[in-house]
Amino acid sequence: MLDLINFYLVPGIVLGSIYALGAVGITLVFAILRYAHLAHGDLATLGAFLALAVVSAIGLPVYAALPVAMIVTAGVAVGVDRLFYDYLRERPKIVTVMASLGVALMIRSLVQVIWGVDAESYTRGISRPENWWGIRLKDREIATVAVMIGLVLALQLFLLRTKWGKAMRAMSDNPDLALLSGIDNRKVVTLTWIIVGGLCAASGYFLGLNTELKSLMGWQMLLPMFAAAILGGVGRIEGAVIGGLVVGIAEELSVLVLPSEYKAAMAFAILLVMLLVRPTGLLRGKVL
Amino acid sequence: MSALLAMDKVRGGYGDADILLGVSLVVAPREIVVIVGPNGAGKSTAMKAVFGLLKVRGGSILVEGRDITGLATNRIVEAGVCYVPQVDNVFREMTVHENLEMGAFLRKGDLSAAYDRVYALFPDLKERQKALAGNLSGGQRQMVAMGRALMLEPKILLLDEPTAGLSPKYMEQIFQICRDVRDSGVAILLVEQHAKQALAFADRGYVLAQGANRHEGTGAELLADREVAEMFLGG
Repeated sequence: MLDLINFYLVPGIVLGSIYALGAVGITLVFAILRYAHLAHGDLATLGAFLALAVVSAIGLPVYAALPVAMIVTAGVAVGVDRLFYDYLRERPKIVTVMASLGVALMIRSLVQVIWGVDAESYTRGISRPENWWGIRLKDREIATVAVMIGLVLALQLFLLRTKWGKAMRAMSDNPDLALLSGIDNRKVVTLTWIIVGGLCAASGYFLGLNTELKSLMGWQMLLPMFAAAILGGVGRIEGAVIGGLVVGIAEELSVLVLPSEYKAAMAFAILLVMLLVRPTGLLRGKVL
Repeated sequence: MSALLAMDKVRGGYGDADILLGVSLVVAPREIVVIVGPNGAGKSTAMKAVFGLLKVRGGSILVEGRDITGLATNRIVEAGVCYVPQVDNVFREMTVHENLEMGAFLRKGDLSAAYDRVYALFPDLKERQKALAGNLSGGQRQMVAMGRALMLEPKILLLDEPTAGLSPKYMEQIFQICRDVRDSGVAILLVEQHAKQALAFADRGYVLAQGANRHEGTGAELLADREVAEMFLGG
């Protein structure tokens, strides 16, 4: 039993938390901007490598690199929106989806040009897990889950309590009426990208912290993150968190019954089943 | 009579074809004006033209003498014009109170007077402040929609078929609320399917047909007009 928890459940929850951070961003973009953002994974890669730059070049502690990476990635996300997506707003959404694929390739190439294609890591050496009544947890694993929960709670508070958070919900709920109410949609879009960029960086950072940094790390997370967002119900923040955890745990548990090469196929299977059986997701999101 | 809203020979449409072929109307302060006419006459389109939701290719739209033709939607809202669409006119996944708050998005400072005013007009809503707008009945939802628009304290309120799909009881209630709103100092321009009832309660009316003015006058005049009765009111 403890082996099951230590070898499958704990890694599953950690991986799930990383997916959740990305899935929350995907669900926000879906809900407010109404397109699938395919550069999401590569934005996470960029965030992870920016944190690496902060750690190796400036010499800040590993955990201090996270907020810096989040802020810079948020800026990059806003910049990408202004440079590319903003011009396509009036066009059919599929045009923006395809443009985001282009942005994904650009970001990945940029990362490869700057940091190369070899695997990197934030720290050298092995980190030992501590024993909590038989359950072995590493500090970074606890940090991953705790920061994910903290960021999601902060986001929920922002959306429920503040004027601009409510404006984001209004834009997601009924964009035409939001405009008629005088809500400035450009500001809401900018705010959305700031949040989404920050969340992307956090998911990339924690993936890098728990495994290693590779230029394809984010791209490979894209499918599980989308599966998590759709599983939870598009537009549902708490749904994206649940979806992320389910996909992460399912991927780790699948190794028990399937060869480990099929791990990545789990997300795809969940996505397909969900779209066939319950396209609104677990928590009744929007139907795309 | 100084006009609050004046449309003069407005032409325009959504795509290349014009739906409005010359619509003129005037709304004075503290007045309820109704637009009636057969389906496809361009009633709702005329209202959307005020709000810049379609391409206006001719004529002018003035609010208090200021030309608002072609302005961005949020500028028109700032000019004191609020619009309640016929459908999808509430934020369904937000509470009644949040709907009102979004209506006042452009306002700064203390909103408690504005909330009090709206809740005084719609006591039903006060009881259901925390309810999600999407869970309300059609009539209550219409009240949320009107309340949201009133939060900005507009000079004129545009209502697109506020009684569509409502029971006669609610219809009378919505009309009564319109009178209360008018008496509180806000002019109202509304589009109505229920032409007879609407003309009976409005101060003045315009009959549109095929995208242009056909008749105008006080509600009573139009109701008495034989041609209007035969053409648009079903005898």
